[in-house]
Amino acid sequence: MNGFAIVWSERALMLSGLANTVVLSLLGTLASLLLGALLTPVLVSRRRAPAFVALRFVDLMRCTPFLLLAYIVYYGLPSIGLRFDNWGAGLFALVLYNSAYMAEILRGAWMAQPREPIEAGLAFGYSGLRLFRRIVLPPLLLAAGPVIGNQTIQIIKDSAFLTIIALPELTHAASSIQSRRYIPFAAFIVAVFLYWGLCLLVEAAVAFGKRLAEARQ
Amino acid sequence: MSVADLSTANTAQDPSAPPPLAATRPVLSIAGLVKRFGAHTVLDGIDLQVERGETVCLLGPSGSGKSTLLRCINWLEVPDAGRVLLEGETIGVSTGGVVMGDGQLSRMRTRIGMVFQHFALWPHLTVLQNVMEAPVHVQRRSVDEVREEARALLERVGLSAKHDAFPAHLSGGQKQRVGIARALAMKPSLMLFDEPTSALDPELVGEVLTVMRDLARDGLTMVVVTHEMSFARDVADRVVFMDAGAIVETGAPEEFFGAPRTERARQFLLRYSNGAATPGETR
Amino acid sequence: MSFADVLAILSGALTTIWMSAAGIAIGMPIGLGLALIRWARVPIAGPLVITYVSLLRATPLVTLVLLVFFAMPQLGVTLEPIQAGLLSLVLNTSAFNCEVWRASLLSFPKDQMEAAKSVGMGRVLRFRRIVLPQVVRASLPGLVNEMSLLVKTTPVLAVVGVVEVTRAAVRIGAETYEPLPPFFVALAVYLPIVFVLVSTQRRLERRMARSTAP
Repeated sequence: MNGFAIVWSERALMLSGLANTVVLSLLGTLASLLLGALLTPVLVSRRRAPAFVALRFVDLMRCTPFLLLAYIVYYGLPSIGLRFDNWGAGLFALVLYNSAYMAEILRGAWMAQPREPIEAGLAFGYSGLRLFRRIVLPPLLLAAGPVIGNQTIQIIKDSAFLTIIALPELTHAASSIQSRRYIPFAAFIVAVFLYWGLCLLVEAAVAFGKRLAEARQ
Repeated sequence: MSVADLSTANTAQDPSAPPPLAATRPVLSIAGLVKRFGAHTVLDGIDLQVERGETVCLLGPSGSGKSTLLRCINWLEVPDAGRVLLEGETIGVSTGGVVMGDGQLSRMRTRIGMVFQHFALWPHLTVLQNVMEAPVHVQRRSVDEVREEARALLERVGLSAKHDAFPAHLSGGQKQRVGIARALAMKPSLMLFDEPTSALDPELVGEVLTVMRDLARDGLTMVVVTHEMSFARDVADRVVFMDAGAIVETGAPEEFFGAPRTERARQFLLRYSNGAATPGETR
Repeated sequence: MSFADVLAILSGALTTIWMSAAGIAIGMPIGLGLALIRWARVPIAGPLVITYVSLLRATPLVTLVLLVFFAMPQLGVTLEPIQAGLLSLVLNTSAFNCEVWRASLLSFPKDQMEAAKSVGMGRVLRFRRIVLPQVVRASLPGLVNEMSLLVKTTPVLAVVGVVEVTRAAVRIGAETYEPLPPFFVALAVYLPIVFVLVSTQRRLERRMARSTAP
């Protein structure tokens, strides 16, 4: 089909869109995982007030459409003085939104962890960061791996919404090609297959992590 | 190879020589220990001393506070009053009454080995890695030296074939033996056993008790919370009977099991001797 | 923001609601059909379903709706924005629903099937009276979850011109130069709808955990 030949000629734009999607998704996943990990202890904290606020935040993100959040951050916040460029707004919205999900995921995994091995860590002289890094975190990540993987796929797809704030990611690239060269089918189909490829990669990584976890179960 | 060769805590090689002054100080000294959970007083003023090389068994009905007492020794539970001294140094509170920082408390904990009821092995590490983990990363000893000792310890508890297995693939008895090896790898001055065989199927209890009996014979200082009466009778140097948060009676096993002095001890022993004989004991 | 503006957003809400309902109502049975095709291991259709589901679960809805809206004319079919939007919602949600149904079908206890066979029930009867009712019950939390996710993706329809809540809010914000108030009104529309669905899902999960507890 001629359309695909045109897409091939525009591959630089397509690939740059893909690269931006990858960067957005990677940064989004890592940052929201980090922030989520900081939020989880607050969620399970015995101090009522911070736990309440954290829970309401998670509920809010859970019930808000991501597209609307992106609009609010990019178009709405400037009216109260917070101006982001499209990358800043996109990353901010992506990380804010998904840190709530990551916090919930980690909380679920944490509740399911047995307490005794961590107590053993304390009894053997582990404390603070060393306890967290060597005793608490590895089993937690092994248990939460598949769910975190699913959330990563969700982040990849959410990144596509950011085309509405003119972020030059993959969907934006395909859109731009189709509007200039009038080949909507080819352009978007290629984009779809590229998203598919990304998701298959994440699923392969999750499968690998699952194998590691199963050997230890 | 015996535990004595591996543990630097056991210094007396010649029993006929007069003990050096340091060796007469008790390894563990508990004074006036009180622990409350809310309105409920679980430990009501406990005084206890354990000498080097002694095996002390804590016996008593459920809820008597035995496990809580054990967990107060290494401050997994924080006592509300009283002192715990390890080889003359207070745990948890430095001289002057200031609560110890994490680092100091952790350092003291490395001198106390603990074996848990549900084994508490680290699931993401192999058997060998479990034994090597704390000596390498907390005590910062050389990896090669620790690996040698870990292999020797695992052989000692009969698990040389299982170095690269993950804990999930072991039986309960095997897991507990790894737990014992793991605690010994730290070369502790004192070993705490929190109902080490309570979570085991009856036929697996014996293999663990055998290891523990050998450790006691080799002169390891041990405090054991257990329901295994025959173990207490045959292996303990001293039995401490607790009920409702207080030490009711202590004595040599022959005295306690043969001629208990208090009524509560008598009733406790009656309950246990009327039931089935304690399972899993091997000779 | 005037009263008329709020009305405009609420009328957008009606669009959101009826399109979500339509998407759910059409997508759920299609998802069940796809799941059954896989469960029954139909020769050629099975692998096709696997590919379809894998592809559609990996495709962002915004990309899909742009593809459907702009590419269909190229294949000879001209679609209104609403039709393109609805088609995209259905394609997307049917794939996710398929996986929810499939999970329940796969975890259906074998011994119940054997019990039904042993009293002489035929295939259709077995399915209708034994399998389906329980699979529906087991799937409910997952299905309700998918419903809440669908509602949250409806703003994407604005991208092709459907005037739903978000697009109405954006338009009003652009007209009044005060973007935040209409966005908050839009949020106030979505939050209760999604919250009701999420709470329902949690209650269903709790009820199921209790009924299957030993």
